[in-house]
Amino acid sequence: MTAGRIGAVAVSVFRESVRDRVFYNLLLFAVVLVGASVLVGQMTAGQDIKIIKDLGLAATSLFGLFVAVFIGVGLVWKELERRSVYSLLAKPLRRTELVLGKYLGLALTLAVNVAVMAAVLYLVLAWMWWTSPENLRAAWEAPALDPALLVAFLLIYFQLLLVTAVALFFSTFSSPMLSAALTFGLYVIGHFNADLKHFESIVESKPIVWMLRGLYYLLPNLAPFDVAGEVVHGQAVAGGYVLMTIGYASVYIAFLLAAGAHIFARRDFK
Amino acid sequence: MHAIHTEDLTKDYALGFWRKRPYRALDRLTLDVEGGEVFGLLGPNGAGKTTTLKLLLQLVFPTSGRAEILGRPTGDVAVRRRIGYLPENPYFYDHLTAVELLDYFGRLLGLSSADRAARIPRLLDQVGLGAERRLPLRRYSKGMLQRVGLAQALVNEPEVVFLDEPMSGLDPIGRRMVRELILGLRDRGTTVFFSSHILSDAEAACSRVAILAGGRLVSSGRLADLLAFGIKGWEVVVEGVSREVADKLRAGAASLTPIAEGRYTVELPPSARPDQVMAEFSSAGASVVSINPVRDTLEDFFMRQVAEHGHAREVRL
Amino acid sequence: MTRSRASGSLAFGAALVALVACFVSLEVWRDRVYGEPKPGDAVLYVRSGAAVRRMSLSFAPFVSDIYWVRAVQYYGATKLSNSPAKSYDLLYPLLDITTSVDPRFNIAYRFGAIFLAEGYPGGAGRPDLAVKLLQKGFRANPGKWQYLQDTGFVYYWWLGDYKKAAYWFDRAAAVEGAPWWLKSLAAVTLAQGGDRRSSRALWESLRETADNAWLRNNAAFRLQQLDALDAIDQLTAAVKTYEARTGARPASWAALVRARLLRGVPLDPTGTPFTLDPATGAVGLAPESRLNPLPTGQQAGPPAFPPAPAR
Repeated sequence: MTAGRIGAVAVSVFRESVRDRVFYNLLLFAVVLVGASVLVGQMTAGQDIKIIKDLGLAATSLFGLFVAVFIGVGLVWKELERRSVYSLLAKPLRRTELVLGKYLGLALTLAVNVAVMAAVLYLVLAWMWWTSPENLRAAWEAPALDPALLVAFLLIYFQLLLVTAVALFFSTFSSPMLSAALTFGLYVIGHFNADLKHFESIVESKPIVWMLRGLYYLLPNLAPFDVAGEVVHGQAVAGGYVLMTIGYASVYIAFLLAAGAHIFARRDFK
Repeated sequence: MHAIHTEDLTKDYALGFWRKRPYRALDRLTLDVEGGEVFGLLGPNGAGKTTTLKLLLQLVFPTSGRAEILGRPTGDVAVRRRIGYLPENPYFYDHLTAVELLDYFGRLLGLSSADRAARIPRLLDQVGLGAERRLPLRRYSKGMLQRVGLAQALVNEPEVVFLDEPMSGLDPIGRRMVRELILGLRDRGTTVFFSSHILSDAEAACSRVAILAGGRLVSSGRLADLLAFGIKGWEVVVEGVSREVADKLRAGAASLTPIAEGRYTVELPPSARPDQVMAEFSSAGASVVSINPVRDTLEDFFMRQVAEHGHAREVRL
Repeated sequence: MTRSRASGSLAFGAALVALVACFVSLEVWRDRVYGEPKPGDAVLYVRSGAAVRRMSLSFAPFVSDIYWVRAVQYYGATKLSNSPAKSYDLLYPLLDITTSVDPRFNIAYRFGAIFLAEGYPGGAGRPDLAVKLLQKGFRANPGKWQYLQDTGFVYYWWLGDYKKAAYWFDRAAAVEGAPWWLKSLAAVTLAQGGDRRSSRALWESLRETADNAWLRNNAAFRLQQLDALDAIDQLTAAVKTYEARTGARPASWAALVRARLLRGVPLDPTGTPFTLDPATGAVGLAPESRLNPLPTGQQAGPPAFPPAPAR
């Protein structure tokens, strides 16, 4: 029954994103990608397939980030702001279930988003492969329809799931503006996280080095999710690496959701 | 077992951002509501009515004291399957239609799809939302939202219904609809617990009331017992009154105000009895248009209660 | 009631800590198996400094700081890397963006030029890009004679082009506010180019005038390298003398000490013993010495100081 209630909340989140035209971003994505593939094909020789892959993965990540943050911070907050939470929580729905349902709903939205983007990228790549002469194809580092791209998409998806959990966590106790700012902040830090650890090469003070090292491990580390660099050059990404990174995301998400639900469950809805 | 039971229920809110000051929204409320009762929680704005309801629904957590619904603590999620709640000035999801909203809540309540399909159209008809049910809620007026709110509170055929200011935002026809709805629920044995700051709402439907002021229970009991002494006189409008008759009336009345040709407003002392008044006026040759009791407003009543009992808010905003 | 709630909170807190421990250990494990993500490994997406400046809105100084930190980290991490195929490819773009976003970023020009000019693998080995960066700096800051002086240094030290070096010292001297001795530096460079004495004069002038500790230390380091070159010349002469006397190559420094040609095992200015190849008689720096690699093309002048004796 619990699963049924969480599912009902999740479906309602998904329906809301459909009705709020969230998926229009897919249209923009397709236009950008198709437009770029036409332009790039005219300007560069040989490298265009790599550039389209780069662009497709970067755009998936970026568009997904905006969806994750801007919807993520509003998931819980909008219920409170519009007072719809009052009638909702009068139903046999635990607050924890509400938080989980909201999260899963956005996870579903993001899954559809990323899946469609992957499909669009493969379509564009297939078209480029079709229109490229044989000698050009031979110069490519990785095949056009490289299944390894799916690994990149998978890790982007898990990165987005982690970002969503961060956004949802912040929104259980702060305003959407602040939550969005904090989430973007953590996103940026999460990508330069490795620098924190290497500051010891330029910072003398031991306590500061240890503090930075601690931050490196505690803050969400997002850089390992970016395997686009390897994938587009046709370098293999180890299965163990992917599993460990997904495991890391899952545990971190569990932590954020547990903490967020805990805070939310204790709030007074004045 | 009481339908609703509270014991020393108290809620403090912290006010202020830097230096938190406690603000007591509800002070040691002890209350019992029996099954099948229509119970009115009355009081001026800011008296603690909404806080009481939110505490009962566990939207806020009590500072101290406890509350039970149907013999179960308010934190029990299972008991919520047996209750309904209409929040004050309800608002729902812009992107859903009334049918979808009720369907969503029906799922959360664990209703079968057959139940949902059968009940939802019937309920929406009952609250007077026939034609608009397929319209997204963002296009609803305040009154229409109030009606959807009533429908969602009743979708599970609850044993106890909590209604926060159910008449607000409604036109006279809507108010009558709500009144009839409440009486219909009572006839089916449903316990109705509602709040209002308008006395006539309570008079029209309640068997018992509790009156809150400044977060404290001022008095509770049958409305008639509480307010009987509150009648200050009678206001009678009469018609077809000649000059001689008017002079005769003036002698017995507190005041006599001409309204139009042959029509007067007569004020009578509280000791007058409506049936006698009717008889006297008819025999004097005047026809009675209306008789209304002149009474305290709820505010007057509160002011007097506060003056008598010395209740005043300890910390005010 | 209160008690059970308190113990519930405790259990929940413990569960949260366990989750943190779990994701941290996963991270450590992954880093151990697959290596940590290296800073600067990331691609530099935007390479146009002008574009970055436009994108940084009113945060230009701050953005330039970020790029400067990235440049330093990139340089540092690459320098420390043991990879045989390491590359400093992103160094110039990073410095270029830093100085485009904030054209008055003095340190970025001066340190950046040193990073770029230094020979591979200790530096990028791109004196041409160092000159380009310094020229850009001087165009943006026409009062900064130091950039011209540094340009002269790059030509002198890394490119061995004494004419060009003298030309740039001369140009630097012509800038208003430039010190008087730049003029004579230009003359000395032209007359005794490649002479270790003029090199010494150059670095000493920089050591005395540098307004920055790092630049001073860099000059002191170069002077130690020159000292080491002088010492190697002297030691080579001693080896030659030994060969002439005994007709054999010395097997070790001990042989020279026994022959009273040396008082002890000779140490370079950083305290590391010099090496002696018994097969060829060649004297050199120990591979672990901080002074590696020594500059080439520096002809010996009269000795500046005798090799430091060991106890």
